[in-house]
Amino acid sequence: MPARRGWRRALLEGSLPAMPSTHDVGGASGFGPIVREAGEPPFHHEWEARVFVLNRRLMQLGFYNLDEFRFAIERMPPEAYRASSYYEKWFLAIERLLSEKGIIR
Amino acid sequence: MKGEQGHDHDHHDHEAHAESASMASRVGALIANLESKGIVSGAELDAAVEAFLVGTQRAGGPALVARAWVDPAFRGRLLADANGALAELGIDMTHWAHVKVRAVENTDRVHNVIVCTLCSCYPVALLGPSPTWYKSLAYRSRVVREPRAVLAEFGLALDPNIEVRVWDSTAELRYVVLPRRPDGTEALGEAELALLVTRDALIGTAVCRAETGPLREAVR
Amino acid sequence: MQRFRAGDSVRTRAANPEGHTRLPRYLCDRRGTIEAVHGLYPLPDERALGVGVASCTKEMLYTVVFDSGEVWREGTSEPASISADLWDSYLEPEQAR
Repeated sequence: MPARRGWRRALLEGSLPAMPSTHDVGGASGFGPIVREAGEPPFHHEWEARVFVLNRRLMQLGFYNLDEFRFAIERMPPEAYRASSYYEKWFLAIERLLSEKGIIR
Repeated sequence: MKGEQGHDHDHHDHEAHAESASMASRVGALIANLESKGIVSGAELDAAVEAFLVGTQRAGGPALVARAWVDPAFRGRLLADANGALAELGIDMTHWAHVKVRAVENTDRVHNVIVCTLCSCYPVALLGPSPTWYKSLAYRSRVVREPRAVLAEFGLALDPNIEVRVWDSTAELRYVVLPRRPDGTEALGEAELALLVTRDALIGTAVCRAETGPLREAVR
Repeated sequence: MQRFRAGDSVRTRAANPEGHTRLPRYLCDRRGTIEAVHGLYPLPDERALGVGVASCTKEMLYTVVFDSGEVWREGTSEPASISADLWDSYLEPEQAR
């Protein structure tokens, strides 16, 4: 699997490309205060709930797995990642995966 | 929040509403598309939403903690094998049957707090849906870096001698904090004790208190 | 293969490869201690590429504990630790001090 062996050579050669890692935020700064909403409902909009169950259903049906789903979110352009709400990211990832697998568009 | 000027506030609300309507439309279109291909059924999805919301009302975290507080042997089993303990209590983990749960215990020397810095993994089966703050870039980035400051923002001041242990959920293990039983609860039964266990205490951003107060965020 | 047992000192790999992985950057190139051994789990780096569970590489999964002062490379009088669940290939042996 090239992804596993190739990186060791790249590391030794010093040729690792810049990794998209907008999601990898442990220890990063600049995100401001932690905003909390008292009495927050499970979903703020019905569409969020539908995205939640749609995602679960599509994984149950085997269209993609959880790691593919996470990776699809991670592959979003940084600006889109930061600008999208949580479930909007989910929706964009689902669309992307279904498109890549030829299910839609 | 631009609250000072009426029209800015209205504009913000209007924008948010338009965004939401736009998303609702896009989601509806995708579901319709998939339905036309026989992949999903809109009705099934709606039923799944209902079932999920009902299920969250029975999230088992508080029951787990209350039993551990009253039954030391159960507490030992919970800490050694949380999945077994969940099964003992008949807590439904159907959708998360493959998930390994681990309970981590707060003591007078250790305080635990949970995060997923990479995305926002969370024990939904035990706690219900995660709060937005848990999923925020601010929480994910800061709690590993400055946990005490974050806990202080949540109103929790820890003794400097207590070790803070942050658990970054990077794999399919899901963590739940076993908070300390509050003083003055000796007379309470299991059901009453469960009412003292808040979602934030199970994440580690709060401790349990003997009395419920107006700011307590119940697990619902 | 299980290369480590509870109590072993390990060092996380220096950098992350291209693609999906579950070692956070802030924990790269850090010394930690194996706290628990969880058994074989499919490697998410491969699963993210669509590899099926059956054919996916399975690796031992460990809970590794890190001292926060070492992670952030600064001393602190207030004890804190960070743990993460990491796959075998993310780790190398480290000489215990």
